[in-house]
Amino acid sequence: MTSPDSINLEHLNHDRFKSWSFSQNICTTCGICSSSCPVSGVEGFDPRKLVRMVRLGFQEQLVETRWPWICTMCGKCAYVCPMKIDIANIVRGIRSLRDRDQVPGILHKGIDAALKTGNNLALPKEDYLFILEDVAEEIAAEPGFEGFKAPVDKEGANILTTIHNKLVNTHTEDLKHWWKIFHVAKEDWTLVSENWEGTNWGYFTGDDTAMKTFIGRIVEHMEQLNISSLMCPE
Amino acid sequence: MGGGIAGLSSALELSKTGYIDVEILEKSGFLGGHAIQFACKATDRCVSCGACMVEEKLKQAVENPNIHIYSRSRIQKITKSEKFSIDIIIKPEYIDSKMCTGCGVCLDTCPFEGSVIRGFSKNNMPLHTICEDSCLYFKDKSCAKCQELCPEGAINLDSLESCHTSEVDAIIAATGFQPYNPVSKPYGYGLFDNVITNLELERTLRKNSTAARPSDGKAPKNIAFIQCVGSRDVGLNHLWCSKVCCASALRMANLIKMRQPDTKITFFYIDVQTFGKNFQAFYDEIQKNIRQIRAIPGDIYPTKDDRLQLTYFDGAKSQSVDETFDLVVLSIGLIPGQDNPDLAGLFNLEILETGFLAPVENGTSGICDGIFTAGTVQGPMSIPETIANATDVSWKTIKYLSEKDIQETQPDAQI
Repeated sequence: MTSPDSINLEHLNHDRFKSWSFSQNICTTCGICSSSCPVSGVEGFDPRKLVRMVRLGFQEQLVETRWPWICTMCGKCAYVCPMKIDIANIVRGIRSLRDRDQVPGILHKGIDAALKTGNNLALPKEDYLFILEDVAEEIAAEPGFEGFKAPVDKEGANILTTIHNKLVNTHTEDLKHWWKIFHVAKEDWTLVSENWEGTNWGYFTGDDTAMKTFIGRIVEHMEQLNISSLMCPE
Repeated sequence: MGGGIAGLSSALELSKTGYIDVEILEKSGFLGGHAIQFACKATDRCVSCGACMVEEKLKQAVENPNIHIYSRSRIQKITKSEKFSIDIIIKPEYIDSKMCTGCGVCLDTCPFEGSVIRGFSKNNMPLHTICEDSCLYFKDKSCAKCQELCPEGAINLDSLESCHTSEVDAIIAATGFQPYNPVSKPYGYGLFDNVITNLELERTLRKNSTAARPSDGKAPKNIAFIQCVGSRDVGLNHLWCSKVCCASALRMANLIKMRQPDTKITFFYIDVQTFGKNFQAFYDEIQKNIRQIRAIPGDIYPTKDDRLQLTYFDGAKSQSVDETFDLVVLSIGLIPGQDNPDLAGLFNLEILETGFLAPVENGTSGICDGIFTAGTVQGPMSIPETIANATDVSWKTIKYLSEKDIQETQPDAQI
């Protein structure tokens, strides 16, 4: 982001952010956020400056800049902040102010896909189930895991697990680790056949409506299958 | 109560009247509190740090016949009728203050580190104190080397505790602050030898005149000062600026630069709090020699060659920078003393939201008339400010005593 040569003060919206629950008004600009941030400096990203912009009401610039989208919302800044300013949540708040069609491509498309199909990839159900079976068969071929199967839609299981879309796309090997642990630990667990997406891009893009829809689906699964514990690998 | 700079200053001021006797109750073995551990930071000229005033006040108080000092004392019971009656228990010195010459044979011969502790001023004898918690003699009598080898025969490890009752008309609570312990901050304090506090650097400079790395004793070539560690911190409920650390750190940096001119010094700060009338001129001057970076560093990592890598955001370049230092000095905050809630409860003193105690205007503010507070028990103060505050409190105490029309010659005020 480049700094403007002059700022039209009439464009500043001081009240816009006052209602936000985090107290960015007591920022002392110590800069420990920027010093700790793993992505500060990327395209000039400076969390300290971002917090000041929020405080001063630079709404237009904040919505336009890519900075909130460079942030990974890891929250390290908020953890070290002496004033306990929830910077990751501020970033989420700024993201929420963009028109949805201005949300970076993959996220915008993923949310649309998830709302329509139940997962960010729009992966058809039969393909998804085939991948699960395939991975389960590979595990079953290993000594000690004979007869392994991945349970789907099992009523009354102890744990329900959601799926991060990349685990049924490019990273299927990563499924095996915890599935094997479940097997050895004799855990009673299950996957679900529909609306299985665990990565909530509604949350990350500041789209509360979509976020609630995705969470609601998981709650629905747990109620229907009578399961009280959730494992949501991200 | 308290033999730090506030207690010593009040005692001296009260004793100047000529008719007030003063008792100083000090918990530790040494007078002068934190401030007696500080180094004089004068270069080719005085920089008004105030360290010398502590030494001076201490000397005057020790030599004053109207001031009675009870070091290593703790309060057992306080009752109030006409006067305050304070029962104290005094731990033995073990080392006779009149015989001790401060030679240090006891410290040198002690096989157990931490059992003999050296004080900070030869005006405060005995210079050393023996710590019962770690001394082998108090564990199983297996060692009495110090007693056997003391050339003056000044040590008696079998000395017994004694009791004393003070009858006083007024009490000044001058119990001071405590330094913030920065272990929970992300700078590896307690993990990495070469991460120290500003108070530790003060002690090193007082003792050795120059800065040294704790890990190998070598002179650091590159020092980082990190300001505001534990101050202005809502997470810790420390919303205040500790007021003394900017000046203290910059004066130490300036001193090191003069004595060890090849040392590079970087000062990481939020904003420089320039209290004191001379400070602006001093600050303008030292900026030539000390690099100023307006950002508090984030991560610290030890390097393979026993140095410390700090990450900070360089606002001018808009990027994170990793830089390696030999010594990292944390300017830790001044926080309320541990005893403040007890003191407030005992004497019905007002405890502030910060945890410090409120000033007392006329000594008749509560159920316990005749109680005052002085110095950093009220909040962060520099040495000169503490002396001024303690002097002011002394005058209020004198006013209180005269209004009470007290004309006895027994010990009248206690600090």
